[in-house]
Amino acid sequence: MRLTWKLSIASMKMFFRQKEAIIWTILLPLFMVFLFSFVSFDGFNAISLGVVNQSNDTAFVSALKSVKALKVYEGTHETELQALRDGDRVLVVVLPFTFHPGSSDTVETLLNAEKPQEGNVATLLVRRVLDELTFQQNVQLTRPEVTVETVNSRNLNYIDFLLPGILAMSIMQSGVFGVAFGFVLLKKRGILRRLLATPMKPADFIVAQVATRLVVLMAQVLIMIGVGILFFDLHFQGNILNLLVVGVLGGVVFLGIGFALSGLSKSEDQVAPLANIITLPMMLLSGVFFSRSNLPGFAHVITDFFPLTYLADGMRSITIDGASLGDIGGDLLGLTVWAIVSVFLAVKAFRWE
Amino acid sequence: MSLLDVRSISKSFRGLKAVADASLEVPQGGIVALIGPNGAGKTTTLEMIETLRSIDSGSVILDGIDVSREPQKVKRLIGVQLQSSSFFDKLTLTELLLLFGELYSRQVDPIKLLQEVELKEKAKSYVAELSGGQKQRFSIAAALVNDPVLLFLDEPTTGLDPQARRHLWGVIKRIRSEGKTIVLTTHYMEEAEELCDRVAIMDRGTIIANAPPQQLVNTLVSNGFTKDRIERLANLEDVFLSLTGHSLREE
Repeated sequence: MRLTWKLSIASMKMFFRQKEAIIWTILLPLFMVFLFSFVSFDGFNAISLGVVNQSNDTAFVSALKSVKALKVYEGTHETELQALRDGDRVLVVVLPFTFHPGSSDTVETLLNAEKPQEGNVATLLVRRVLDELTFQQNVQLTRPEVTVETVNSRNLNYIDFLLPGILAMSIMQSGVFGVAFGFVLLKKRGILRRLLATPMKPADFIVAQVATRLVVLMAQVLIMIGVGILFFDLHFQGNILNLLVVGVLGGVVFLGIGFALSGLSKSEDQVAPLANIITLPMMLLSGVFFSRSNLPGFAHVITDFFPLTYLADGMRSITIDGASLGDIGGDLLGLTVWAIVSVFLAVKAFRWE
Repeated sequence: MSLLDVRSISKSFRGLKAVADASLEVPQGGIVALIGPNGAGKTTTLEMIETLRSIDSGSVILDGIDVSREPQKVKRLIGVQLQSSSFFDKLTLTELLLLFGELYSRQVDPIKLLQEVELKEKAKSYVAELSGGQKQRFSIAAALVNDPVLLFLDEPTTGLDPQARRHLWGVIKRIRSEGKTIVLTTHYMEEAEELCDRVAIMDRGTIIANAPPQQLVNTLVSNGFTKDRIERLANLEDVFLSLTGHSLREE
C-alpha cells in the first residue's frame, strides 16, 4: 500500500514536470474549445418557430412552412413551450381554437428572451404571412391581433455541445496515447527491466500508473468544466461528481486499450498507427464535434456502440441536461461492458518486456 | 561455501543455445570479471542469476537460496546495474534513490549513497543531465540502495573515455574494500586485470576458465606461449592519459 502510494506520488511528479504532457492533456483541449468558440453554427440555420395549432385552419401553417427563413415545428402547447424554454425555439405561435385568417382573434406569440433579434425577425415574418393571407381571403380588413410575450429560455450554444465532447475525447487520447507511448518507452529504455530486478510487485506499479492517470483525468474534467463556465459561458447543469464518475469509467476503458497496445508494440513507431486506427474513427464519428444525428443510418449501427460515443453522450447529458447517473444508465452500461472488454484485453496483451 | 554457486545452467532462445551448461563459483568478497566475446552468453548468464530470466536447466544458489525457487528473496540480496538500462525522467537523483529504497521497503540516505559514487553535487539533477560516466556511477548508487551482498555490473565502463573509466575503477575498488562481492562483465582486458581478483572466461555459452588473472597468464606462459612482439614500455593509452591528464572531464 505504502509502496503503491510512493510510486503514485513519484509518477505524478514526473507527469506534472513534463511540459509536453500538460500541453497535450490540458492545454490542447482548451485551445480547441477556444478555437471553436469563434465558430457560430447558429447563424447558418433557419429560425426555429414553434406552432401550436388549436384551430382547424391549415392555410396559415402551410404558408409559414413555405417561408425559407423559418423552420416550423408543430406541437402541443406543452411540448412547444418546453422546447422554447430549452432554447430550441426562437418563437412559439399559439393559434386559438377559433382562429382563421380573417378572424379577429388574438394570436399569442412567445418570444425567446435571449434571442431578441431572431425573435423580432420571426415576429415580423409571422405578421407578414398572416397579413398576406388575410388580404387574400377577406375584404373587411379585420385580422387577428398578434401579441408578443417573452419567455426566459436556456439557450445552448455550440460550446455547450462541444465542450463535453472534447472532454471525452481528451480522456480517450490521454488514456490510449499516454499509456501506450509511456509504457513502450519505459520498456525500450530498460526502465521496466531495472524495476523488475527489485522486489517490487509488478501489480503495484500498474496500480500506481492507473491511479496517476485517473487523478490527471479528474483534474482534466475539473479544469475543462471550470474554464468552460468562467470563460466560455458554459451552461453547466449537472452534478460534477456524476461527471467524474462517468469520466473515470471512460478512463478505465481507454487506459485498458492503452495497456493492450503497449503490449502489442515494440516501439513508438508501432504504437502510433495502432493508436490512431483506434481513436480516429471515434474522434470523427462519436459525436465529439458534430451531432451524430446527421450520420446515415448504417453508420449509427456501428458508431452507437463506440466507447467514445457512450462517454461523450453520457458527459454531455450530465453537462447540458443535468442528467443523473440513472438517466444515463444506457451509456454507463455500454461503458461498463467496454471496461470489462478492455481490461481483459489489457491483461491478455500486456507484456513487461 | 561460496557466495554464488552456478551449477551447469542452460538457456535457449527459439532453439538457439545462448548458455550451455555454464558453471561458476564466486567466493565471498572480491571482484570477479566475466569476460568473453560478444554473444558468448555473459549478459544472459547474469540475467538468469539476477532472476530476470527463467533458467531452462541447472540451478543457481545465492547465499544458500535457490534463485528459481525464491526469486523475491534473491532480489533483496543483490544489487544490479543493467547494460543500457535507464531511469525515470523528471525525477532527481535524490528522488530516484528514495523511490528505489521504497522498492526494498528501506529508508535510504540518498546523499550518503551519492557521496559513495562521487555525485553529491548532482543530487538535484535529472539523469538526462548526467554525463556517461556519471550515469554509470548513479546506476551503481541505485544498485547499492539495499546494501546488497552481491553486486552485478554489466559492462559498467563501456563507452566511457579513459579518464572516466579509471575514475569508475576507483569507485568500484572502494566498494570492494567495504566488503562487497562484485561480479562484472567487460570487454577491456586491462580492466579485468587491474580490477579483478578472479576472471571467468566465457565462450559459446559456457565458462571455459575461472582463476585469478595472474594465474591464467602464468599458465599460458608455462605452456610455451610467446608474444610476436616484445612488450613496449608504454602503450597508446599511457600516451593519451599523459597528454590529456588523469583528471575527470565532466561538466
